[in-house]
Amino acid sequence: MNGAIKQNNLTVLSEFLRKRENIDPVRVTPEASLEALKVDSLLLLELLFEFEDRLGVKIPQDIPRPKTVGDLLEIVDKVTAGHV
Amino acid sequence: MASARRVAVTGLGVVNPFGGDLADFFGRMLRGESAIRLYTREDDVLRPLSVPAVRCASFDADAALGRSLAYTMDRYSQLGTAAALSAWRDAGLPQTREAPRNDWGVSWGTALGGTLTFESGYVEMLRNGRERVPPLSVVLGMSNAAASHISIQLGLGASSATYSVACASSAVAIGEALPKIRSGEATLMVAGGSEAPLSYGVVRAWEAMRILALGDEASAVRACRPFSSDRQGLVLGEGAGAMILEDWDHAVRRGARIYAEFAGCGSTSDHDHLVRPNVDGQTRAIRMAIQDAGLVPEEIDYVNAHGTATREGDPIEIAAIRAVFGSRSAEVAVSATKSMHAHMLGATGVIEAIITVLSLASQEAPPTAYLDDPDRECTGVRHITGGSLRSSLRAALSNSFAFGGSNTVLAFRAAH
Repeated sequence: MNGAIKQNNLTVLSEFLRKRENIDPVRVTPEASLEALKVDSLLLLELLFEFEDRLGVKIPQDIPRPKTVGDLLEIVDKVTAGHV
Repeated sequence: MASARRVAVTGLGVVNPFGGDLADFFGRMLRGESAIRLYTREDDVLRPLSVPAVRCASFDADAALGRSLAYTMDRYSQLGTAAALSAWRDAGLPQTREAPRNDWGVSWGTALGGTLTFESGYVEMLRNGRERVPPLSVVLGMSNAAASHISIQLGLGASSATYSVACASSAVAIGEALPKIRSGEATLMVAGGSEAPLSYGVVRAWEAMRILALGDEASAVRACRPFSSDRQGLVLGEGAGAMILEDWDHAVRRGARIYAEFAGCGSTSDHDHLVRPNVDGQTRAIRMAIQDAGLVPEEIDYVNAHGTATREGDPIEIAAIRAVFGSRSAEVAVSATKSMHAHMLGATGVIEAIITVLSLASQEAPPTAYLDDPDRECTGVRHITGGSLRSSLRAALSNSFAFGGSNTVLAFRAAH
């Protein structure tokens, strides 16, 4: 997965959180805790839905629950690359 | 056994079609001002909608609740939570949570719950060809969502229950809160209901029953004419209302303003027919409410009628009132405020209960708007027409009679 696509997915995530929760995009870094960004179980469902819609992929139901932004982006990357 | 506790009404909140606050809403009711307008909805595939209805068009969910919270709610939960927060503030209750509120609860009513969410999902899949619906569809659409949001926002740890009893839903919710406070199970209950019924399918469904009032731009405002000889049916509306019901002594100790005493409730079933109302079932509910309140019929000075303006329903309600009050019926003031705020289905009971409470508190009751020529089958009571009634109002009833034959009557006593 190249860096440009990773950056694009990070932008999708930060833009989503800005619109929904008014979270400053500078806080949305790979190291940031999803909990600290107010991403609870329901919001995570919406995020997965958003990525599926935008990327045209199907994220499996049995993925491990991501703890950080990086964890989530890694899942999305793997799914997009066909590794999950 | 300790004597039952009395229940005070200490806070009221509405989301209403006029867009103003509680005082503004009640003032308009007293002036006989109708909020009914022609509701039109164009569609590039389906037949356009065009019916008289009531909408809370100026309600701004983001402003009332914050964008983040509003996004997780169907419109019926948005309306309901906003009404509950408004009632909470009106009651002077604390915005902070110094102590657990595990004996404070929610009792809520809705007939249709998140019907807009479900319709939106159907449209996306069946019409727009999407393969799935948004992931929050279940939690937006579920019928206890409004009660849950209210409980979460206000930190209420006692019972959080939702009652779906068609047009009596929020009256039942208010009624069910009464024994909880009387018994000491709860000290305070947020009770009420909310409805956002103006989905395409719901309007069409009511239309198919041939009981929706018709009208155009000019005539829509007077489309709902309960008890009138030329009444032609009901008008759907959206809205929400909430009451803070509180243990009387608790309210007095904290110095709360008491609007009225919630004195009694009567609930019966017609056990007869799904939609045809029944004099006996309604009569029993009215009598039960009066008795439960420790009142006698001679003390009831005002009845806020269910009065939907259907051909069949209105005379039956008047017959029930006459059966209860007998020779005194002509002295009992009656009005049907649906002529102004329309039929908010699951929210209509609480809206009318709030109007009833405010009538007792102000000693002034609103009229039935546009009741110029009462139907001969609807006479024998003191219809309030042409303007409000200023009078000594000792106690009052709010009637709610639902499809399915479920009848609930709430009895309130003036606080002074």
